[in-house]
Amino acid sequence: MDWLVANWAFVAQLTLTHLGIVIIPLIVGSVIAIAGARVVPTRWVPSTTAALGAVYAIPSLALFVTLPALIGTDFIGPTNVVIALSIYVVASMFFSARDAFNQVPTSTTTTATALGMSRLQLFLHVELPMAVPGLITGLRVVAASTVSMASIGAVVGVRNLGYLFVDGFQRRIPEEIITGIGAVFVIALVFDVGLWLVGRVLTPWRIRGDARV
Amino acid sequence: MFDFAELAAWFADSTNWDGRYGLWFLLAEHLVLSLGAILLAAVVALPLGTLIGHTGKGEFAVIGLGSVSRAVPTMGLLFALVLLFGVEQRDLSLILALTAIAIPPLLAGTFSGISTIPWSIRDSATAQGMTGLQRIRHVELPLATPSIVGGFRIAFIHVVSTVVLAPLVGLGGLGFGIVQGLTVRNYAQVLASSLVIIATTVIGDQLLGWVQRRTGSRLVEHQTTEKS
Repeated sequence: MDWLVANWAFVAQLTLTHLGIVIIPLIVGSVIAIAGARVVPTRWVPSTTAALGAVYAIPSLALFVTLPALIGTDFIGPTNVVIALSIYVVASMFFSARDAFNQVPTSTTTTATALGMSRLQLFLHVELPMAVPGLITGLRVVAASTVSMASIGAVVGVRNLGYLFVDGFQRRIPEEIITGIGAVFVIALVFDVGLWLVGRVLTPWRIRGDARV
Repeated sequence: MFDFAELAAWFADSTNWDGRYGLWFLLAEHLVLSLGAILLAAVVALPLGTLIGHTGKGEFAVIGLGSVSRAVPTMGLLFALVLLFGVEQRDLSLILALTAIAIPPLLAGTFSGISTIPWSIRDSATAQGMTGLQRIRHVELPLATPSIVGGFRIAFIHVVSTVVLAPLVGLGGLGFGIVQGLTVRNYAQVLASSLVIIATTVIGDQLLGWVQRRTGSRLVEHQTTEKS
């Protein structure tokens, strides 16, 4: 605890960087995955699923250092980490998003179409809200793993909470590493509870339904 | 942009394949470490997961462990264990960290494979006069196999990615080329190593996926032949 008290400003600064490096991939990745789940034609779904499954198996450090050769970025720095994490979020959220949309009852979408909704209206006002519970479940899973995976970015020179692991190991300060693990945990927990709350707020009809039963 | 001729030259140089820090040795080391830790984890997780799925007691613990473990930064866990046990014992720390990482997915795969078997099937096994052990051996484990293999698949992905970090604590494995290459700015070595890592994980994952589909389809075949 002494270490944390003496270095709290530094930890807070690393936490902020960490948040930024996690939030961008979560937003970008889920938007791409949700759009992809709706846009990719059914006959391409098996091949897309297989490709994303293979991408998901790639170790994060290997992906961080492969991207520079593919897209010409610097080997060191946050760009590759943000892009790589976004790719993982897409790979993971594509499955959750497809599941979530498949769970929307056909009767509901047929009714909406019969009421004269356009394809876009159907998506925005019926499918998306109805899929929120499934999407939130998927996001909670991927948020936790993204928060912990982002720390590996420290190996390629990103100053986030992972820096506490690298620095703490090199200088033999166990408290520093423990602080890092704790901070990653707290961020993951904040994301989890936050997403759960967002899910509750976005689906008020579910709360009313619970109350009636 | 990266020079791909440089990469090809690196792969063509036989000195990069042979010796203690050559690709062959590092690949073998990587696989032995990963598979060893997964087997060690399986010894703990399979019986425990079977017991929890069979009795239905302790579901909460499995699900809780699953969500908590996702948020554990594997790098922090590895470094903390190495400092805790001392640098001389870092092999032990690595194996411990890898085993700890492999246990939650194996436990979840085994548990959920058994607990999602409909009660009608499990009750009819008991009604046939099967003892608890016979029901596990002849009904629950065979039906749970695809899910158990799925657990191995996730454990494999997590463990292999963590072994990549082993050179950071002075151990070997395929991550060596990445860590050394980044330090000395030999980006051909970095890229070549990461390509070998990617190939290894993707092939391993696809292999396990194939096993998973096969065990799954065998069950379906049995069902249809029984019906007709």
